[in-house]
Amino acid sequence: MILASECDVVNEVICAPADVNELFEFPAIFTLGGFVVSRTEVLMIFAALVTVAVLYFGLRQQRLVPTKYGAALEGLVGFVRDGIARDVIGTEGTKYLPYLMTMFFFLLIGNLFEVAPGINFPITSRMAIPLFLSLVTYVIFMFVGFARNNFRYLIDTVWPKAVPIGLRWLVGLIELVSIFLLRPITLAVRLFANMVAGHLMLTLLLTSGLIFITAIPEIGIKGTVGVFWFALGLFMFCLEILIAVLQAYIFTLLTAIYIESSIHFEH
Amino acid sequence: MEGNIEALTGALSLVGYGLGAVGPGIGIGIVAGNAITAMARQPEMQGTIRTTMFLGIALTEALALIGFVLFFIASAG
Repeated sequence: MILASECDVVNEVICAPADVNELFEFPAIFTLGGFVVSRTEVLMIFAALVTVAVLYFGLRQQRLVPTKYGAALEGLVGFVRDGIARDVIGTEGTKYLPYLMTMFFFLLIGNLFEVAPGINFPITSRMAIPLFLSLVTYVIFMFVGFARNNFRYLIDTVWPKAVPIGLRWLVGLIELVSIFLLRPITLAVRLFANMVAGHLMLTLLLTSGLIFITAIPEIGIKGTVGVFWFALGLFMFCLEILIAVLQAYIFTLLTAIYIESSIHFEH
Repeated sequence: MEGNIEALTGALSLVGYGLGAVGPGIGIGIVAGNAITAMARQPEMQGTIRTTMFLGIALTEALALIGFVLFFIASAG
């Protein structure tokens, strides 16, 4: 444990690491042709395998009456199909369903690694994964936008006809920056920052709690502050489960909304 | 401590994040409050309202989270 060696239990009230990077960067296990493979990369591949396994074993056999596990999975699939793809995009949504579904399940499992015992590390708290997924989304909705509306997509964004002429350049500028520049960045940062904040908070509270509780024999009454930290940490733990599911949902929902706004651009 | 600018940088980014969190805090309050009002008036629209509420919260929250990331960048740099 990184925190334990440095924590000055006599003078501090909470044990914080000197550098937060050490909570997110793991030493390399081995190097493969210039690519460093550490715990993060192993977990990333593990998450992909879990995603495939969960879907394969749940839906490999089409039964008239599904098993309990299959029914639960069908509910989840139906939620993404009806609640996200068809609700937001419309009848065309089924075309984008494979992408949305894959992303939702991968993010859900990746986020839930944060609270999974023995793993305790959300792979989405490394910027590479959210950034890559949001760039894929960016390419998809840009492609759809230009394919459906030709160059009107760009021209009408910069010069919106519905706005009074005096304000048109200002609205156009804001729209241009927000659609072409800020959308992919905020989409990635939202997921990334949520997961970083969650992981940081859980680590700080639970390890601080543990260190102070175990130090009660040495420092006496002051060690009871650890009980408070640990209780707060357990409360945050439950909250983080909710946040992990919610962030996977929001990422998928926003992807669907961006695609929809490219399809029905004129509205 | 007198004239020690180095010691101030960490504290300044903390203040900056605090300021950045005020706006989204108010915004999320307005979004959630109005969603509750809407749900109370039309309980049959609950599903749609909840989806829109999460969307509004996510868009507002992005500002606070960008502040959170900038806090680490500023205090590390």
